[in-house]
Amino acid sequence: MIEYIIAAMFIGLLLHGIHRKVIARIQGRPGPPIWQELLHTLKFLAKESWIPKTASQGVYVAVVGISIAIWTAALMLLITQESLLLLFALYVLHKIVEHGIGLASGSPYSKFGAIRSVVSAASELPLLSSVALIYLITGSLMLRDIETYQAINGPLLFVAFPAAIALYMVILSKIHYGPFSIVEAKEIVSGYWTEHFGVWRGLMNAAFGLKTFVLLYTFVMVFIGPIGLPLTLLGILILMISLSFVCAITPMLSPYDTVTVQTITTGLIAIYIIYLGVFA
Amino acid sequence: MFDQNIEGAELFALPFGDIVPFFSVYTATLAAFVVVFILISAFDRPERQLNIVFGGDAYYAKEIKESDTRFSRFMAIACGCATLGAVVTGDVFNFTLFAVLVGITNIAIVASAGNRHVLNAAFQYGIVAMIATVPLFGSAAIILATTGTLSIWTLAGMGAVPLLAKALLILGVMGEGIAPLYIGKAEIIRAQGAPFVLMIHFSSLLLFLRVTEIVLVI
Repeated sequence: MIEYIIAAMFIGLLLHGIHRKVIARIQGRPGPPIWQELLHTLKFLAKESWIPKTASQGVYVAVVGISIAIWTAALMLLITQESLLLLFALYVLHKIVEHGIGLASGSPYSKFGAIRSVVSAASELPLLSSVALIYLITGSLMLRDIETYQAINGPLLFVAFPAAIALYMVILSKIHYGPFSIVEAKEIVSGYWTEHFGVWRGLMNAAFGLKTFVLLYTFVMVFIGPIGLPLTLLGILILMISLSFVCAITPMLSPYDTVTVQTITTGLIAIYIIYLGVFA
Repeated sequence: MFDQNIEGAELFALPFGDIVPFFSVYTATLAAFVVVFILISAFDRPERQLNIVFGGDAYYAKEIKESDTRFSRFMAIACGCATLGAVVTGDVFNFTLFAVLVGITNIAIVASAGNRHVLNAAFQYGIVAMIATVPLFGSAAIILATTGTLSIWTLAGMGAVPLLAKALLILGVMGEGIAPLYIGKAEIIRAQGAPFVLMIHFSSLLLFLRVTEIVLVI
């Protein structure tokens, strides 16, 4: 099991590096090497660390552990092909991690990040509509049943295209430097994780690498189906590069616009679900 | 009810007539997280908020006395217990009761703050949460009237629950603090005490997750 977790973290951090590189190349900059995020993480893990005197110590440390636990559990769900609903729950609990990290230190910058995290809770809604549409079409939320359905009926990407758009939006809202990344915007330094440094930052980097891998892997597994490991990794890479393109050419939206876009997306998919349920 | 391929395998079931408290992989995972957050709110000390002094580059850390946190801590633990109840119950009416209890304890956590903005937010959120009890209990009443039972175990997979009841159940939980009605809680975040404020948001998200499962199952 541990080898899967380490491999997923490694690939996730490498994807973060590729993300930065692609954005930089599109914007006409050389950009950092693609292994930069790996080096960052190793550097942070080796740095001197302590807990700020003003922090709520339990929350400050616990949220880092919870973050790792959430995404490790999510990876295990994918490997064992368990319930997509549980994966959805773990994704939603990540919101608590953002919120807790921001609140723990007492810093106004991280607190702003936490408030924006609450305000952008609408980012969970597209995932809910995506899960509901998949259940309506396949009749199951177990990942193994969804794979079997795709082996018989072809990729869900075509049948449940709006659900794919919704999940794409969800991943976009969690990716660094994206149009919806208001929780870590530069006008509030690094947002909710401004005050987490040293080994805490290193562990969170590793957890977020895992998160990126899990979300992209979920997309490929749920909407393209069983295509073997090499093609799955290729699919993840293509998906990551497409996200980088969106991030490179889209400015960060204001918190108000972020919530509006996410809510409208959910609303459109909800209308599609009602249409499918009533007329199809 | 575990033949519906929604929430993973059955881990435990305790029949009391038609009311069956149960643990699936899904609800057990949620319950484990609730226990962790109850422990955090029970034993962790609050942070000292840093405030910037306007007109200069100075800042100061607010002091918070242990005696000031007692009520918030008690309510945060109560909120955690109510959330745990909502997550593990096998009965729709009990779920609605626990959901209302979560709303009440959320208001209490912030009402203990001495900040005028926070108190205003608590008041406004309280009105929304109180109004939300109407669709919550209304949905339970409709389910009982149309099916003759409130047991999630019995209702699972029957398809007997009217769409209106499901919609009202979701609307009620939304009023207790999830998007888009959560917006009344934005100012609440100014309240001091990370372990307690975190419980407000955590309990709302857990209610949202449980109601999603209930609506899909029944």
